Amino acid sequence: MTAIHLENLGKTFGSFTALKNMNLEIADGEFVALLGPSGCGKSTTMNMIAGMIDPSEGAIRFGDRDMRGVPMSRRGVGFVFQNYAIFTHMTVYENLAYGLRATGVAKAQRDRRVHDMAEFLHLTPLLKKPSAGLSVNILQRLAIGRSAIMEPAIFLLDEPLSNVDAAFRAVMRTELKHLQREFRQTMVYVTHDQLEAMTMADRIAVMDHGKLLQVGTPIDVYNNPSSVFVAGFLGSPGMNLVKGRSVEAGGFIRVDLGEAGMSTPLPAHLSASVPEGASVFYGFRPEHCELTDGEGLRLPVTFVERIGARTIVHMGSDGSAVKCVFDNRVPVRNGEVVSLAIDPSNVRVFDAETGAAIGGAN
Amino acid sequence: MTADILEAKAEPVEHEDTRDSRRLGFSLTLPAQLLILFIAVFPILMQIYISLTDWSPLDGISWWQAHQLWNGFANYTDLVADDRFWSALWRTVLVMAICVPAEFLLGLGLAILFVDNFPGRGFLYSVLLVPMMVVPAVAGYMFFMLFQSGGPVNDILSFFYGAPVTIAWLSDPDLAFFAVIASDIWQWTPLMFLILLAGMVGVPEDQLRAATLLGASWTTRFRTIVLPRMKTIIIIALAIRVIENFKVFDNFYIMTGGGPGVATETISIYIYKVTQQELIWGYVAAVALVILISLSVVSAFAIKRMSQSREAG
Amino acid sequence: MNRSMPFEIFRYAAILSLVALSLIPTLWMVSMAFKPIAEWSATGAELTWWPNSPTLDNFRFLFGESSSDLIVALDRTAGQPILSSLLSAVFGTIIAMMAGTSAAYGLSRFGSGGNLPLALIQLRIFPPMAVMIPVMIMWAFLGLIDTWYGLALVYGIVTMPFAFWLMKTFFDDMPREIEDAALVEGCSRLRVFWKITLPMMRPALASSALFVFILNWSDYLIALLLTTRDWVTIPVYMASLSSSMTGQLYGAKAALGLIAAIPPVVLGIAIQKHLVRGLTFGALKQ
Repeated sequence: MTAIHLENLGKTFGSFTALKNMNLEIADGEFVALLGPSGCGKSTTMNMIAGMIDPSEGAIRFGDRDMRGVPMSRRGVGFVFQNYAIFTHMTVYENLAYGLRATGVAKAQRDRRVHDMAEFLHLTPLLKKPSAGLSVNILQRLAIGRSAIMEPAIFLLDEPLSNVDAAFRAVMRTELKHLQREFRQTMVYVTHDQLEAMTMADRIAVMDHGKLLQVGTPIDVYNNPSSVFVAGFLGSPGMNLVKGRSVEAGGFIRVDLGEAGMSTPLPAHLSASVPEGASVFYGFRPEHCELTDGEGLRLPVTFVERIGARTIVHMGSDGSAVKCVFDNRVPVRNGEVVSLAIDPSNVRVFDAETGAAIGGAN
Repeated sequence: MTADILEAKAEPVEHEDTRDSRRLGFSLTLPAQLLILFIAVFPILMQIYISLTDWSPLDGISWWQAHQLWNGFANYTDLVADDRFWSALWRTVLVMAICVPAEFLLGLGLAILFVDNFPGRGFLYSVLLVPMMVVPAVAGYMFFMLFQSGGPVNDILSFFYGAPVTIAWLSDPDLAFFAVIASDIWQWTPLMFLILLAGMVGVPEDQLRAATLLGASWTTRFRTIVLPRMKTIIIIALAIRVIENFKVFDNFYIMTGGGPGVATETISIYIYKVTQQELIWGYVAAVALVILISLSVVSAFAIKRMSQSREAG
Repeated sequence: MNRSMPFEIFRYAAILSLVALSLIPTLWMVSMAFKPIAEWSATGAELTWWPNSPTLDNFRFLFGESSSDLIVALDRTAGQPILSSLLSAVFGTIIAMMAGTSAAYGLSRFGSGGNLPLALIQLRIFPPMAVMIPVMIMWAFLGLIDTWYGLALVYGIVTMPFAFWLMKTFFDDMPREIEDAALVEGCSRLRVFWKITLPMMRPALASSALFVFILNWSDYLIALLLTTRDWVTIPVYMASLSSSMTGQLYGAKAALGLIAAIPPVVLGIAIQKHLVRGLTFGALKQ
């Protein structure tokens, strides 16, 4: 059980920079998700932690140990591959026993540990079976068990649920989380699915284009995104970002949203941080809107998606395209012009040029 | 990249089964069937007939009149007592027992060296394949020239030995045997290399990485993952080489003509010589039939076992 | 895979020494082909790896210009054997490809000819020598001895298994949707095969044909048995160049060997991607 320290980690492949300035501290026993779209550098980071790739710059430490030069086979790292990489020419038993055999553990002890692990993962009846052709659910447990039996300090999982049916994913997420709690491993989990990250991680590290954008608890990253990218990436649908201009009105800053009209005055802490006349993005989450008869953002409804329990209403266009989520009884019709009221405490403002959030947390 | 043979599941192919398609399918396969008939069925029937006679083309009668020289199973009993035949057969097996493992080990070693990417890999790979593509008869002549008493092999040996070496390789029974084996290993190691490399490259990299992360050393990985997953390919490679090596003729014949004496006479050379020199074709037919039947039985047996283990595994 | 420096050095050392071993015999023959007669039988200190005075005399000799150094002239030039090899190999390839491709398509698409795979494998297992007597008799009877077409026919039959297996795997790999689409539009199955499938298979056909050609060109034993004078192929001619009269014509034979060896090597390198498929009867693809 070890903490992981990534210090100024970077990697270039030829002229392509896959990762730069990655600084991250992962506490002992913590479950951290590396979240981001394809090519953001999350897999590269993890492969460097595992020792599959050497960093171009920076350092990786497990606790006090500098891992530079330490080969893959000696890092004490558990790794679950996206396709599980089960040794399909071996039985379940042989898969579980592989690491113990490879490191010279005596047969009696090996046998005991394999049976214990199989018991724990409910794999006991399958021990003698060939591992080829087993269901994905079993393979996931086998993959984890195979690594966990070596009692690694650190567990790395590379998008293990991406090959799984959507129906099963929820079940397997819970199982994974349960296993992590049981083993109390330090876990690093790579995914592009923000829902997975939100439900499983203690902390999320959001990455894009080789850069670490924000680290924080799921709620933290969700409620207080540090950039336009993070705001849009988390949540389904992501945060609405309407382009506007800040204006001063009666001691407070409001945002002029063009055709949508003028926003309500920004709360005090934002008002203080947003300069006047700045080009900004006015952000609010789809679930934080309310239809009102009174004053608010006026937007024409362009499309109504009724998907069972929820209804997603698409409004506006171009710079002021907005989606709002309501329950399924909302009486909206295509073409109507509605008025949206948004609680100021739910508003976030971003600099239109840099994409960075303006103003501190609430 | 080759798909890993163990993961490839054969999906049952549904064939169209209408009268039209059956007719078309029949006529499409007809030429091939006829050719086989021509080269396999008729010859075998002919051979059965001739093998029961004492016929030779020198007798002046056409082959279908060979019944005049009927001698029953005399040829077959002669065969059992024919020392030259059995020693040729034994020699062929000996050649196989030396060449095939040597080619396999060298080919495997090369495959191991070539499995990673490294600068020049593609070019060196093509160069190493060249021996396999040389016309075998020409390869035989190359090695004939190499092993001349005044030739390059002795030249190189002289260099290392410090004094002139003038071994008459092809005149000494044991040395000639060695020389022809060398020519076979030279020519066919690339084939083993080609097949084994294709198989080795198909071993899933993720599994190798997983094994490494679990603490396995290179030799452990090779033993527990690479070789087991190459099992089918290894069997195919060995089977192909064993079959071709058994039939060997061209380079051996050109290098030594089967000699000195019969020191390098393999079964094919033996049959050739008896056919062309002694011209007792009735006898040769018996020999040929015995070989064909034995091979048919052995191969049918082997193929059956292989398809059985395929279905089970 | 991270590999250490010592291993890299070992790798290159091992590979380069094996490369040297695999090139030496060939290079020696190339060298001999360009050596003048005086250097043919050099031994000991005079033995050179590269000709002291490279010459094209050997090649000229082969094609009819008798050199003043050589006591004897050939009874023919090398032109005829080259022609024979070419004709028999090319037409043998045509026969093999035609029979093999149709049968492969029949098996792949319709499941007909189910006995063919086993029969063709057995065909490859038989030593040629074991079936040659009947073939020689039959061919003598049909007047096909010492003709290029008689030879081509045998070549075609003997290499048909390769054409069959290669094309079968290629057909199996090809998705049937395209053919099915044409069928739905009313094309007859034969038309589909001719106008749609085959054109799509051009690269596969080319590689298979070249593979089969290499095999036919490389034959020695069959030509040895079925040709006598007029239509001997290059390998047979090459082997016959020495006799008690002329002694060992090292240089000339080497030159001839070079001529014989170059086409298959060049073609082989060109289709090396498909060699694995052809040599393992389609069990493996690359």
